[in-house]
Amino acid sequence: MTAITLSPARPHTGVVATALRLTATNLRLMLREPMVTVGLIGFPLTTVLVLAGVFGQVPDPEFGGVAPDDHYLAGYIGVVLAALGLITLPVHIATGRELGVTRRFRASGVSAGAMVGSEILLGIVLGTVSVVVVLAAGSAVYGLQAPDDPVGVAGWYLAGLICFITMGCAIGSLVPSARSAAALGNLVYVPMFLLGGGGPPRQVMTGVMSTLSDVLPLSHVVGGLRLAWLGRTDDPHTLWWPFLVSGACVAIAVLSARRNAT
Amino acid sequence: MTLPGAATTVTGSSRDHLVEVHDLRRSYGTTEVLRGITFGVRHGELFGLLGTNGAGKTTTVEILQGLRHPDSGEVSVLGLDPRLAGDQLRRRIGSQLQDAALPDRMRVHEALELFASLHPSPQPLDQLADEWRLAHLRRRPFAALSGGERQRLFVALALVGRPELVFLDELTQNLDPVGRRHTWDVIRRVRDAGTTVVLVTHDVEEAERLCDRIVVLDRGRVVADGSPAAITAELGGTTTVRFTDADLDVRPLRQLPGAHRVTRHGIEVAVEGEGPLLAHVGAHLVAVGRPALDLHAVRPSLEERFVALTTPEDNR
Repeated sequence: MTAITLSPARPHTGVVATALRLTATNLRLMLREPMVTVGLIGFPLTTVLVLAGVFGQVPDPEFGGVAPDDHYLAGYIGVVLAALGLITLPVHIATGRELGVTRRFRASGVSAGAMVGSEILLGIVLGTVSVVVVLAAGSAVYGLQAPDDPVGVAGWYLAGLICFITMGCAIGSLVPSARSAAALGNLVYVPMFLLGGGGPPRQVMTGVMSTLSDVLPLSHVVGGLRLAWLGRTDDPHTLWWPFLVSGACVAIAVLSARRNAT
Repeated sequence: MTLPGAATTVTGSSRDHLVEVHDLRRSYGTTEVLRGITFGVRHGELFGLLGTNGAGKTTTVEILQGLRHPDSGEVSVLGLDPRLAGDQLRRRIGSQLQDAALPDRMRVHEALELFASLHPSPQPLDQLADEWRLAHLRRRPFAALSGGERQRLFVALALVGRPELVFLDELTQNLDPVGRRHTWDVIRRVRDAGTTVVLVTHDVEEAERLCDRIVVLDRGRVVADGSPAAITAELGGTTTVRFTDADLDVRPLRQLPGAHRVTRHGIEVAVEGEGPLLAHVGAHLVAVGRPALDLHAVRPSLEERFVALTTPEDNR
């Protein structure tokens, strides 16, 4: 066995430095966790390869006159965001709290700000890596279309990240255990994914499903991404809606953290 | 020392105290867990918070660490209010929590390095790992550690930042007898090096062997405060001197200074009383030419006192 010399990293006790250090540690630990890799890369990758393979690259009036695989581009990103915010982050946060990992860090002087900052950074890194892998695979296999408005794509992606990371923090702070986080996450994830841009196109949805789709934040994020990527969309794409949901999630997470702290 | 039912006060100058608690109260729903406790922890002492399960020990310590808020009362730790300066305080103290864990896949060396990086002047990690017998476990993930190994790691993490004050909650839980004694030795060395130690335990032997002073909590109240010897002696304890002699005339033993009662069961003689009774009985046996080889004194133990203090009168 290789001998390890223990040497503490150079001490940086500020909030940002601590958050960065926790994020680096969490990322390293998550890479050793097969479920995370499957959830964040395996499932979206399978989705992109299957959906793009099923529907093909011929422009289709059912998909607003664009090729189905290009239509689903924004949906692939939505799949990643939803998995991140509804499953990965809540389970990670609830597990830490349930096992006492969070208490262990808090007892060592790690501030609540550093803990939350670390979860946000974790979400940004995991989400972005996952999206890059998924789009790279889709482009390599099916030659996906380049974005019409890259800045718009980046902006809508950022809005989606903020919305779903805060949602993950809120759910993670509310649920009592990792098991309930996983159960609730999966329960919400499937309709969010199917009605929020990853499932059938809007034109074939029934009235009720279409109405439900309108209120899902993922629909607006995917609609915005679709608009920026393809130059057109039939999906809702109100920018303030994901931010409104995000604001509500921040309020829930703060109230819940205060309740847990006392 | 404070006796049950007496008003509890923090004794000594407040400048000597690293921890001061006054009339602390906390309820969970309708259950009153802390019912107005008052005590202090002096600089440099190895202080024990002793009580049965559910006595309020862990809640008290969590309040002192700023991890939980009291309903009322005053708390000062290292001159700071844990409610207002929790993060600042927790960087200066060490904590080994009763119910805590690390991520399953985190390795021992990663935990030590991460927690060391949170402090401006951490202990040398190789030395710390050797001291807590973790050196051979460096690459092992947390999930694969035994209960005792986890406990040793948590204590090492509590001490890695060279804290002025360290809280150790159920310190030797899950340790085998050898590990327990090794841990006691190291904790004494930690205290000797100048760190004030607050030991939270329901293990009377541990409190008696380790602590300079203890506070006994019972159902949210302080029922005793003093050194283990003082608590044992002053709560009505008597000494019993025992020896065997089939033929000794035991009547003169009743006249010895401090002797209250003499009984014989077969060849065994028991003299109950107070003061230096062993010396008086020994001197008498030598004087009458019948020194006993098995002469010994049985003093009341802290455990007996503890049981008496924490058992409701109608259950005794």
